[in-house]
Amino acid sequence: MSRRLEDVAAGDHAFEVSRVVTREDVKAYADASGDQNPLHQDDEVARASGFPGIVAHGMYTMGTLASAIVGWAGDVEALVRMKVQFRAPVFMGETIVCGGTVRSVDPEQRVATLDVWVRVERGGATEWPIRRSEAEVRLV
Amino acid sequence: MGLNGTLQGKTYPPVVFEIKEERARAFASAVAHTGEGVPPTLATAPEIAAGLANVIGDPELGLQLSSVLHGEQEYVWTRALRVGETVSAEATIESIRGRASMLFLTLRTLLRDEAGETVVVGRSTLIVREDG
Repeated sequence: MSRRLEDVAAGDHAFEVSRVVTREDVKAYADASGDQNPLHQDDEVARASGFPGIVAHGMYTMGTLASAIVGWAGDVEALVRMKVQFRAPVFMGETIVCGGTVRSVDPEQRVATLDVWVRVERGGATEWPIRRSEAEVRLV
Repeated sequence: MGLNGTLQGKTYPPVVFEIKEERARAFASAVAHTGEGVPPTLATAPEIAAGLANVIGDPELGLQLSSVLHGEQEYVWTRALRVGETVSAEATIESIRGRASMLFLTLRTLLRDEAGETVVVGRSTLIVREDG
C-alpha cells in the first residue's frame, strides 16, 4: 500500500536498511543488468585499478537503495525520480546501510523529496558510497 | 587518447528490450527488491544496452572501459516498467565537459513504450580519467 500524504512530514526519519554485499549478489547483478565490467568480477582486474578486490557496481548499490525507498513508499509506482552521486567504492563482505530522511513535502503535488544515502563502516571510519543524493516519492 | 568533444549531441541507434518476467525476478533478487512490480532500476539494463555498450565501442569516441568511473546517475520515471512490455532505449551524448585529465561524459537515455510514450529518462555521468 502506498504511503499517505498525511503520514509524512519534513524531518521524518524515513528508513534505514542494511545489506551484506556478497560476490553471489554482485554476480547476479552483473547478469541481470548486463554490466559485465570485469572490475566487478575479477579480483586481478580490480587490483590493477588500485582496489583490494572486486568492487560492487555503483548501480547495484543504487538499486539496493531504490529497493529501500520503494519499501518505504509502498509501491514501485511511487518512485518518480532519483538522483545519486557515487562517492566511494563498496567491497565484498561489507554491510551497506541505505538511509533516507524526508527533506520536504509538497502537499499540492503530493510528492515528498527525500535525502538518501548509502554508508559503510570501513577501518574505523564511515565511508559514503552514495551521498548528497535525493529521491522524489509520490504520496496518495 | 582524447575524448572527441565534437560528439556532443550524438544519438546512438535505439535498442529494443523486452521486460521478461525471469529477468525482472533475477534483477529484483540482485537488488533486494521484495515487493510487487518491476524494480525501478531495471531501467539500467536497457540503458546499458543502448548507451554504455555503444559508447565504449564507439571508435570516434576512443573510450577505454578501464578508465571510466560512474560518477552520477539520475532516473525520472513517468510510470513503473511492466513485465511483458517491450521498450525502446535511445541514448544521446548530452555533454562532454571537464579538463583533459578528467572528463565528464553525460549520457541521456530515453526508454519509450510501444505507444512511443516516454517511460523513463536515465542520465548517467561517466568520469573518464585520461591516464586510465
